[in-house]
Amino acid sequence: MQNSILEFLSNTGIPLVSFEQACFYSVAFFTCLFALLTVVSRNVFHSAVCLALTLLSIAGIYLLLDAQFLAVAQIIIYVGAIMILFVFVIMFTSRISDKAIRQANQQVFSSLLSAITFLFILYILIVRSNWLIPAVITQPLPSFTIRQLGSSLLTKYALPFEVISVILLAVMVGAIVIGKAEKE
Amino acid sequence: MISQNHFLILGAIIFCIGLFGALTRRNAIGILMSIELMFNAANINLVAFNKFLGSPDGLGQIFALFEIALAAAACVVGLVLVLAIYRNAKSVFVDKFNLMKW
Repeated sequence: MQNSILEFLSNTGIPLVSFEQACFYSVAFFTCLFALLTVVSRNVFHSAVCLALTLLSIAGIYLLLDAQFLAVAQIIIYVGAIMILFVFVIMFTSRISDKAIRQANQQVFSSLLSAITFLFILYILIVRSNWLIPAVITQPLPSFTIRQLGSSLLTKYALPFEVISVILLAVMVGAIVIGKAEKE
Repeated sequence: MISQNHFLILGAIIFCIGLFGALTRRNAIGILMSIELMFNAANINLVAFNKFLGSPDGLGQIFALFEIALAAAACVVGLVLVLAIYRNAKSVFVDKFNLMKW
């Protein structure tokens, strides 16, 4: 059944793509599409929704890269927490999703030019450079499991892990102090 | 076969989209959103390096995890600053914040 379908597809001349490639290209397409919509949308609330969809697509990219824990963390932290924060601030600051208000400044063309130039430079750099790929690449790299992630996070990288908690505490205090309304 | 370059170029595209947004937006909240896009582009690169260049203890993924936490912290402080400025200047448009401009 499957062989006959594959044979039929190869006879039609449509280039065959593997399942992995199809997944990658569709997820990459949606990521870029929603990222563009985030940047160019006139309504700030629409761009917040598009940013949430972009972050979800990036979680799909992480799944393609065998980083399951990171995909889940991305969904919980970014889509669950940061986007709520964005939406709250958008609601607190009134009148900003008005159609009449211009959302872009006067530097659109120069910014577009510089962004495209930078993308071109990055492309050249990525394609031309010789990555230090290990010589034993012929055999598949050992897959990195969540168990290993947890154990190395609490043994070898325990110090940065604790520093992160100090930073989060400082951010919490700072946000409360800055955001507190001044008493008259 | 999806190679490492595919993921790196995807990261570069998202980074440049975020750069464009950060340069053109007038709205401070929009600028913060573009910066989040750029953070995520860097994260994609880290995880791709972790997979394709191989790391015994998953340094790339751990670094990406730390970066997610730091991006959340940066985003919180930025949004609170936007709220504080909004309370004083009654605007979220960055070209209105010219109090210190000579």
